[in-house]
Amino acid sequence: MPEITDMQPVISLRGLRKSFGQLEVLKGISLDAHKGEVIAILGSSGSGKSTMLRCINLLEVPTAGEIVIGSETVALKKSGQGLAVADQRQIDALRSRAAMVFQSFNLWSHMTILENVIEAPVHVQRRPKAECVAEAVALLEKVGIADKRNAYPGHLSGGQQQRAAIARALAMRPEVMLFDEPTSALDPERVGEVLAVMRSLAEEGRTMLVVTHEIGFAREVANRVVFLHEGVIEEDGPTEQVFTNPKSERFRKFISNSQHFRQPEHV
Amino acid sequence: MIELLQYLSFGPGGWGQALTAATFTTVAVAICGFFIGGALGALIAWGKLSGGSVVRFTADSYTTVLRGIPDLLVIYLFYFGGSLLLSRVASLWGVQGFVGVPPFAAGAMAIGVVSGAYQAEVFRGAFRVLSKGEIEAGRSVGMGRFLLFRRVIVPQVFRHALPGIGNVWQMVLKESALISVTGLVELLRQAQIAAGSTRRPFEFFLIAGAIFLAITWFSQLVFAWFERRTGRYMSGGLV
Amino acid sequence: MDLIFIRDSFLQLLSGVPLTLELTAFAFVLGLIFAMLLALMRVSGIRVLEIPASVYIFIVRGTPLLVQIFLIYYGLGQFRPTLQSLGLWQFFRDPYWCGIFALSLNSAAYGSEVLRGALKSVSKREIEAAKACGMSGLLLYRRIILPLALRQALPAYGNELILMVKATSLVSTITMMEITGIAARLISETYRPVEVFIAAGAIYLAINFLLTRLVSWLDWWLTPHLRGVPAATPKAEHINA
Repeated sequence: MPEITDMQPVISLRGLRKSFGQLEVLKGISLDAHKGEVIAILGSSGSGKSTMLRCINLLEVPTAGEIVIGSETVALKKSGQGLAVADQRQIDALRSRAAMVFQSFNLWSHMTILENVIEAPVHVQRRPKAECVAEAVALLEKVGIADKRNAYPGHLSGGQQQRAAIARALAMRPEVMLFDEPTSALDPERVGEVLAVMRSLAEEGRTMLVVTHEIGFAREVANRVVFLHEGVIEEDGPTEQVFTNPKSERFRKFISNSQHFRQPEHV
Repeated sequence: MIELLQYLSFGPGGWGQALTAATFTTVAVAICGFFIGGALGALIAWGKLSGGSVVRFTADSYTTVLRGIPDLLVIYLFYFGGSLLLSRVASLWGVQGFVGVPPFAAGAMAIGVVSGAYQAEVFRGAFRVLSKGEIEAGRSVGMGRFLLFRRVIVPQVFRHALPGIGNVWQMVLKESALISVTGLVELLRQAQIAAGSTRRPFEFFLIAGAIFLAITWFSQLVFAWFERRTGRYMSGGLV
Repeated sequence: MDLIFIRDSFLQLLSGVPLTLELTAFAFVLGLIFAMLLALMRVSGIRVLEIPASVYIFIVRGTPLLVQIFLIYYGLGQFRPTLQSLGLWQFFRDPYWCGIFALSLNSAAYGSEVLRGALKSVSKREIEAAKACGMSGLLLYRRIILPLALRQALPAYGNELILMVKATSLVSTITMMEITGIAARLISETYRPVEVFIAAGAIYLAINFLLTRLVSWLDWWLTPHLRGVPAATPKAEHINA
């Protein structure tokens, strides 16, 4: 596995474009994410923030542009109007290094929580099962649902499922974690427990990219903020700087609009 | 290939005419069976939906039994049983010996009785899609039971039942081939006869299959057309 | 209504049950394997696979099973020399194997539609999560898609099993003495169609009842994830995976 120095970005996006049919959702995104950075990605619906995140692990294939993970460039080939995956094996390997947590948790319903967590380490990463199980139990304890390990996802609350999904992502020992609106599908009472887990991950120094609506989380946990509007990055800088001195008028409006409705979440 | 065409010719020595006649028989017996089944099915569905517990039990038993036993047995029952009955009745009138019930009648009734069980389920399911509200609305403007039935219930049930009924029709069409065991000269029997005579079973069964396929395919088109026509008034187009 | 006669017929008909069950089992399993193949071909997205599968399904579902049985048993007899040279004649002259062959080919066409529906119904989200973990191809199918699809297909495919039992009755027309074959012989010998019908019908209903229960049990056993909420296991020191 190529080494990652502190200077070299963990993830590098260059000139990313993505169109769905006639609709261009990403209009030239360039972003470097460094080790230890917790980047909050903000923007209104339709701004393209989820699409950008999903391009990183190739759940969406960009129409143009370059994606570099570690020092490996994702191999893409021309296909019709855009691009297509050139090397599926490379993608599979890269996905193990960039673990994703989904808005709808997306746990595998026919497996217990424990089985969910050990699935990728055992079958994709081919690590010995006993080791994976031990690590899985530790992770489940860390996120606070060790007692649910033999339950099925359908029996858990939303907050518990999301924490299980986080444990599942951590089990792959990823270099970077991608969160796609992790709390958007949760009841307000459950949001806090998930944000608490995410905060502790950030404090450990993990590299995290978090697409979120939780401005409070962005303010208090993220050390860098990126603001997307209609497929273009309009703000990108250290959290305090972006919030106290935003360059973009739209961003200013964005934060003030959001604060009208709710207090920032205290995590 | 030329041989094949010779077999199908309509002149003497060719089987084209016989096969055509047999095809008509197939379609005729299927249609008769289908409508008998329709009438029975509607009755059974009505029993299940609005009957007391005895009626419901009878109706449920009917559908369970007829959907659980092989159609061939039902055909044997109607053909041999019918013949037995007919012979008994005829002997009362002084006619001795075996009186066979016409295979067409036996076959159509057997198919009717079996498909009735399936059509009952289709009607029952279709009725449930109908919302109580529509019935209540009809009542509230003073529609009597029969008017309600005719103007509100039947048209709606018909629309929702159409896909299921289309399936039952396809079933009935294919089941008609089973009636060949009674000796009725429908398509499969005719193919058997021709096959035996020419020692060409492969070609003739293939031809029979092709004709069946043509009929089922055509039926599919007809039903699809019907569904499109009646679906125009439903929200979201075709259900 | 001669009850003793019914009982005697019943006992005679019972001797046909093993054959009925054998035919059902063989044809069902072979049909399932082929149905899975067809379903995968249909959802593959590869036209060279999709089209032949669709054509096959269309033809088999559009023609009567009896025609298919006759075609294979009588029709293929026409090619005896060819089949003999291929060493397949032993197989195709035997009504037992012809019957199983025809039944499984037929069942596969209907079954593949059930499986195809089930494959398509697997939650896109769960598939996406698997892809995001680096699963693809065979692994993705084996661990995620197939387990979920097969559980979804179980009730409808269980119905296919019942239909198979009924379908085996058709091989009585090619000299097989399963339940219906014996029933036909009994009727022609004794001229008591009603009693024989009752006895044979009862046996088929009993078989169907048992099979339905079996399928229900299997469905229950395979879907603990859809049952009620279990009590949380106490915090344990032991790792039980």
